Amino acid sequence: MSNIQSTERPHTEAPIEGKDPIVRFKNISKSFGDLQVLNGVDFDLYPGERVAIIGPSGSGKTTMARLLMTLEEPTDGFIEVDGRQLWHKEVNGNFKKADEKHLHEVRGDIGMVFQHFHLFPHMTVLKNLMEAPIKVKGMSKAKAREEALAMLEKVGMAGFADQYPARLSGGQQQRVAIARALVMHPKVMLFDEPTSALDPETVGEVLEVIKEIAKDREMAMLLITHEMSFARDIADRIAFFDEGKIQEEGPPSQLLNEPKTERLGEFLHRFGIDGKGHNV
Amino acid sequence: MIWDWQYAFEILPRLLKVAHVTITATLGAFVVAMILGLVLAFARRSTNRLLSGVTYFVVEFIRSTPPFVQLFFLFFVMPQFGITMGALMTGILGLGIHYSTFLSEVYRAGIDSVDKGQWEAATALNFTSRQKWVHIILPQAIRPIIPVMGNYLITLFKETPMLLGITVVEMLSQAQIIGSQSFRYTEPITMVGIFFLILSYGASLLVKRIELRMDINRR
Amino acid sequence: MILIEVHLEILKNLLPGAVPTIQLTILGAMLAFVLSFMGGLGRLSRFAVVRGLAGFIVEFFRGTSLLVQLFWLFYVLPFMGIRLESGMVGLLALGLNYGAYGSEVVRSAVLSVPKGQHEAGIALNMTAFQRMRYIIIPQAFRTMIPSFGNLLIELLKGTALVSLVTIPEMTFEALVMRTSDAAHTLEIFTWLLLIYFAIAYPLTMLMRWVERRYSLGRL
Ligand SMILES: Nc1ncnc2c1ncn2[C@@H]1O[C@H](COP(=O)(O)OP(=O)(O)OP(=O)(O)O)[C@@H](O)[C@H]1O
Ligand SMILES: [Mg+2]
Repeated sequence: MSNIQSTERPHTEAPIEGKDPIVRFKNISKSFGDLQVLNGVDFDLYPGERVAIIGPSGSGKTTMARLLMTLEEPTDGFIEVDGRQLWHKEVNGNFKKADEKHLHEVRGDIGMVFQHFHLFPHMTVLKNLMEAPIKVKGMSKAKAREEALAMLEKVGMAGFADQYPARLSGGQQQRVAIARALVMHPKVMLFDEPTSALDPETVGEVLEVIKEIAKDREMAMLLITHEMSFARDIADRIAFFDEGKIQEEGPPSQLLNEPKTERLGEFLHRFGIDGKGHNV
Repeated sequence: MIWDWQYAFEILPRLLKVAHVTITATLGAFVVAMILGLVLAFARRSTNRLLSGVTYFVVEFIRSTPPFVQLFFLFFVMPQFGITMGALMTGILGLGIHYSTFLSEVYRAGIDSVDKGQWEAATALNFTSRQKWVHIILPQAIRPIIPVMGNYLITLFKETPMLLGITVVEMLSQAQIIGSQSFRYTEPITMVGIFFLILSYGASLLVKRIELRMDINRR
Repeated sequence: MILIEVHLEILKNLLPGAVPTIQLTILGAMLAFVLSFMGGLGRLSRFAVVRGLAGFIVEFFRGTSLLVQLFWLFYVLPFMGIRLESGMVGLLALGLNYGAYGSEVVRSAVLSVPKGQHEAGIALNMTAFQRMRYIIIPQAFRTMIPSFGNLLIELLKGTALVSLVTIPEMTFEALVMRTSDAAHTLEIFTWLLLIYFAIAYPLTMLMRWVERRYSLGRL
């Protein structure tokens, strides 16, 4: 826990100055049986900040997001959300494993967009967006409907409110899934490779929507992605993940143009980026 | 006292003495069902519309009416047409016919589960029709249906007590007889229940293992 | 002319028996339906005790054979000081037995809903109950319908067995009629089977209709 503020990982200025992180990973480890997937991750995310996470397949990026979404439990370490422990409860200075009630309280700050959308197939698009605000937040039907329609408008899916998800293209489904997560107004939004399950021709529309919602800096965004140019455009900071750790992080220009570690250089090269930030 | 151990041990041999009736009825009926089911499956697949249509109706009819009534039908009606056979044989035939309709569906599903490309590949290799069935289709169709058939065997086993309706003295019937003689039903009927539980639960675990094995081998 | 009168006489005796048959089917199905969810969800409970208990009860009623359970409730329960009406005995046996089979339907349908649906529910901060109630069960329910349909027909067929514990349903009436009119055995049992089919067939159609209704919205 000592190297949290290590100098190797400079943070960008604008949205961060003087603020406490909204999410803080402290020495997080995660194993599946014998397989150690995360190996002491330290990571801070600040309110309104947009961080892209890149890294080779199987390096543990998804696992990191899933720990924050409480879909997976860390083997070791601490995660803080807005100053509160996520996986632990503080009882008289001791840390106890959090119960479901505690998770329920803290989890409300976090939203997630999945690689495979996971829309509810038995509900219309509108119903997909209204269900959680009504059931979880106790919002009135009328209000939930109004907000849902507004959010569908924002992602360009207003015309599909009464359709069932199975009728939609992958890109349309993902836009609905984004809207579904947004209507809960999380403080942190996780995107786990939101476009990698899509047909190439629908990738663009989803990236556009994400760029659009990134404009208002109300929400911190953690974007796991293989779309390098997208990461460069949208992120305040890029973190390179490898072997269960963040190996290197910094502003896009710095990280993509002057990779410090050999691994990152190799990784970028495979994406056709020559180490000077130019496409080859 | 609700449960009398001494009495239970006393009657156990009498119950087990007829266990073979239950087992014979189960296995006998299953063999009938397997063979007749195959006939029905092929009749249903026949290109002769009449044969296939009639088979469909017969299968639907038999499987949606009570086997218990079908047993009575055979038991009482066959002799009127000069066909006489023992109660156990009638029971085997009756349950066998009933379950053949289920097995025919199982066979059909198995055959349909074989990819269409396999037929085409076999045709392309110029196999005869018989060779296609024997060497290409059936070996692939049988695998997935073995666990399903196992489950039907267990179901059939649990149906055999109904044979007491047509005077077959199987285990439940024996328990009833013992009970009526001593006027203590608790032990005999409970013990028959446990007998069925042990065998059918044990067999179902076995089927689950087979199912797993079949699955892995497919990959 | 004589022939028609014979048939009318048979129907006059059998059809009133169809009323208890249908009652037993409907009430038994309702009981079994409720028990299916209790058993099926119980087996998936977070609490090991609940899981174990539900598993034991379900396997017990699946494994011990309907008729044995019926006899047990009919012959043994009175010895324990519990005297139930015979109609109640029949209802209870049918409900418990098919409820146990239904539990497996519920359990496997719930398990068949993709993990991502649970996770999407968690990501929206739904409670475990809300996820089950609004996300998982509505989707699992579609998967259950065909199996429930099959079980409903099985239950209808099972009602014939309760004639053995002196419940005056249709099969009971037929057996009584036959003892006084053995010459028309063929006619009596043919009609009996036809009436069962006449009940089963609309039920099958109804379940198919329900299935279609519930698959709306999905491609
Ligand atoms: N539930 C699990 N049980 C066992 N192993 C798991 C589980 N989830 C993930 N893993 C393993 O953990 C490792 C990291 O997986 P993770 O999905 O986090 O990688 P990733 O960086 O997201 O990769 P990708 O770019 O392919 O999505 C992989 O080796 C994966 O097989
Ligand atoms: Mg991943």
